[in-house]
Amino acid sequence: MYAWMWRHLPGPWPLRLLIFLVVLFAVAVALFLWVFPWVEETFEINRVTVG
Amino acid sequence: MHRKARRGRRRAPKRSPVAAIAGGLGELLLTAGVLVLLFVGYQLWGTGIQTAAAQSDLRSQFALQIDNEEPEEVYDGLELGAAYGILRIERFGENWEWLVVEGVEDDDLKNGPGRYPDNVHAGEIGNFAIAAHRSGHGEPFAKFPELHEGDIIEIETHTGVYRYELDTAPNGNADGNRINITDSWVVDPVPGEPRSTEPTEARLTLTTCWPRWGSSHRMYASGLLVDVEER
Repeated sequence: MYAWMWRHLPGPWPLRLLIFLVVLFAVAVALFLWVFPWVEETFEINRVTVG
Repeated sequence: MHRKARRGRRRAPKRSPVAAIAGGLGELLLTAGVLVLLFVGYQLWGTGIQTAAAQSDLRSQFALQIDNEEPEEVYDGLELGAAYGILRIERFGENWEWLVVEGVEDDDLKNGPGRYPDNVHAGEIGNFAIAAHRSGHGEPFAKFPELHEGDIIEIETHTGVYRYELDTAPNGNADGNRINITDSWVVDPVPGEPRSTEPTEARLTLTTCWPRWGSSHRMYASGLLVDVEER
């Protein structure tokens, strides 16, 4: 998967590395902003109220 | 050497199918591990950043409420998620204070402790109830089991400062006052009596999750109003 990505990125290796890191960062941001809050709510792992 | 033969687009090195599948599976497992670690990071630390920002917004909101010239209107116009008051619990630290929000939905509680909106207001006859997180989102009630009977819980609203003395608490027991998720009797007007019972005392009830890093059960503490300073 990662090797496949690496082969399909354009440019010399420093550029590839930069693109790779930017993609990873974007994925992490998406996880923190949308995916994790959704997981927390959906699986009710953090409820504190009765009833 | 064979180097010259490899021109143009790079190709994947040839591997046996078994090696390719095992390698792919390994990458997936590693990725899953990193995802889980990131989620733990989100719970421990990521959620607190948002909460800290929300708390500072709520603090300025509450300052406006205090300046309001028509105090009666504050409660009437209170929307879910709005600032409600300041909660102070000395057992949790000398300078421990949190801005309480109106409402106990996830969206409200991620910003701070929340008031059960169907219950009475602070200081009123009945059961004034607050829920808060014990892990993540700034973990206001992290030390909940340390609450003892006799501890003073202070709540300041735009109408005044109210102090309640706990008459039931976990008393340092990590499993103390553990209740089931459905035990909503603790926030009834008179806990333990039918919901229709007319209350005669002003009570405060706090709820949080049990265990700390899960929510299969709940924990609670409760007490009666002992001191009032009207504004």
